[in-house]
Amino acid sequence: MSLLQSVKNLVRSHSIHVAYVDVGSCNGCDIEVLACLSPRYDIEQYGIYVHNNPREADILLVIGAYTPGWEEKLHTLWEKIPDPKAAIAIGNCPISGCLFNRPHSLVDPPVSKHIPIAAEVPGCPPRPTEILSAVLSLAPLVFKDYEVAKR
Amino acid sequence: MKRTVDVSIPIGPIHPCFKEPARVKCETKGEFVLSAEVELGYMKKGIERIMRGRPWQEVMFLAERVCGICSVIHNMVFIEALEQMSAIFVPDRAALLRVIVNELDRMQSHILANFSYCYTIEHETLAMYLLDVREQVMDELERITGARVTCAYIVPGGVRFDLRHEDALHLKANLAAIEGEVVRYMHMFESGPLIALRSRGIGVLTREAALEAYAVGPTARASGMPEVDRRLRHPTYKTLGFSPVSRTEGDNYARIMVRFQEVLESIGIIRRCLDMLPEGPIRGGGIPGAGEISYSGEAPRGELSYFVKTDAAGRVLDISIQTPSIMNIEACCHYMLKGVTSLADVPSTFVSADPCIACTER
Repeated sequence: MSLLQSVKNLVRSHSIHVAYVDVGSCNGCDIEVLACLSPRYDIEQYGIYVHNNPREADILLVIGAYTPGWEEKLHTLWEKIPDPKAAIAIGNCPISGCLFNRPHSLVDPPVSKHIPIAAEVPGCPPRPTEILSAVLSLAPLVFKDYEVAKR
Repeated sequence: MKRTVDVSIPIGPIHPCFKEPARVKCETKGEFVLSAEVELGYMKKGIERIMRGRPWQEVMFLAERVCGICSVIHNMVFIEALEQMSAIFVPDRAALLRVIVNELDRMQSHILANFSYCYTIEHETLAMYLLDVREQVMDELERITGARVTCAYIVPGGVRFDLRHEDALHLKANLAAIEGEVVRYMHMFESGPLIALRSRGIGVLTREAALEAYAVGPTARASGMPEVDRRLRHPTYKTLGFSPVSRTEGDNYARIMVRFQEVLESIGIIRRCLDMLPEGPIRGGGIPGAGEISYSGEAPRGELSYFVKTDAAGRVLDISIQTPSIMNIEACCHYMLKGVTSLADVPSTFVSADPCIACTER
C-alpha cells in the first residue's frame, strides 16, 4: 500500500462529514439525528461533523418513506455528493415504509429503489446511539483503501 | 412607485439551518426582503387518507406519527376526542398523569425550538447547552412512558403505565436540576449583547397582524395574545390554576423568551400535578362507539384540532386534522419576513416561528 493511501486512510478515519435528508418522515428520526449532536452523545469526538451540505458530505443519512415531492430531487442530491460516499437509511420508513406503507398513501418505499443504500438502522425511531454506531461501523468499510478497492 | 426586485432567492429545501425540507423564496432588493413565499410539498404522505376506514386502535398509532416532535399531544387530542364522543370516564390519577407527560413533551419541544434558533444565529454554545438539557427531559419522558419519541402512552379511559413512587421522586429531583439550568440559559439569552443584535426588533409580528394571520401558540403569545392558549379550556388544566405567558414585543427575541418562560411554567404545572396526584386506578372503562366530534388541544406550537367521525364498531369513517404550524407559516411569510433588512435574518426568523413541516403536510 502506498504512503499516499495510508495518509488518506488516516485522514478519512477521523473526518466524516454527514448530511441528512428528510424524504417524508414523521420528524421523529430527524430529531434523533439532531440529538446525536448533543454533548451527551457528542458525535464530534469521533470526528463526525453534521454539515447538512451535500457537496461536502461523505455520508448521507436518509430519513423518511420517499414522497412524490422528492422524485428526481433525491437522485440529483445523491449525485452531488463527491466519491467516496455512502447512504444510510435511518428508521423503518426508508426500509419498509413503516405504517405509512398502506393503500391510498402517497409514499413509495423503500428508498433503495431510488438511491443505493449501504446500511440500514431499523427502529421507530432508532436511538441516537444506534445511529452513531451505524455511522462509525460503516465508515471504515467504505472509506478504508477506497482507491485500491476501486482499481 | 415602481417596485424593483433585484433577485429572487430560494432558501432550502436542504439547508444547514432547517430541520425539515421547506423552500422559502424571497424577493429581495439589495439585502432588504420585499416579499417571501413558502413552498411546501416535500413531506406529503397522505396520513388522513390512510386513516379513513381503519379501526381506532390503528388510527391511534397513525395519529401519533403525524408529528414526531409533539407526538404526545396528537395522541392526547385524538383519544380525548374519542372519549368525549363516547362518554368514557377517565380516573383523576390518569388525567393528571396525562398532563405530566404532555408538559414534559412541551418542554422538550420548546427547548428544541430554542436550540434551532440559537444554532441558526450561530450561537452554538447556547444551542449545545440547550440540547443537553433536552436529553434530561427525554430521560424523564422515557422513564415514565417507556419510549423517547413515539410512546403511545394515552389510551381511551386512562394511561398505559402507572407512575411509580421512586419515579415520581426522581422526576421531582430532576425537575429542580432542569429548572436551574433553563433559568441560567434564559439569563444568558436575555443578557447576550450579540444575541440581542440578531434578535431584537427583527421579524416583528404586531398584535393586529397576528390577529389577521390567525397566528397561534407561542408565536401569537409573543405578540400579546395570551388568550389563544387552548389549555385554558381543558378540564384538567383548569383545576391546576396556571396563567399563560405573554409578551408584547412580537419580535424573534420575544418568541424565544416566551418559549423559555413556558418551559418554566410547565415545570410548575408538573410540580402541582405531582403534589395533587391521588392514589387510585389509572384505567377507566369504555369502548369508543359511533359519533362525530370536533375537538382541539394546545400543542407546543399552538392550537391543534381534530374532526373525527366513527361508526358503531369504532372505525374511523372520516377524519381531518388541523395543525398549528400552517397558521404560523402563513404569519411568518406574509408578516414577519416582509421588511427583514438582511438575508441572514430570513432563516432565523423562519425558525423562530418554529415551523413543523411534517405536521403541516402530514
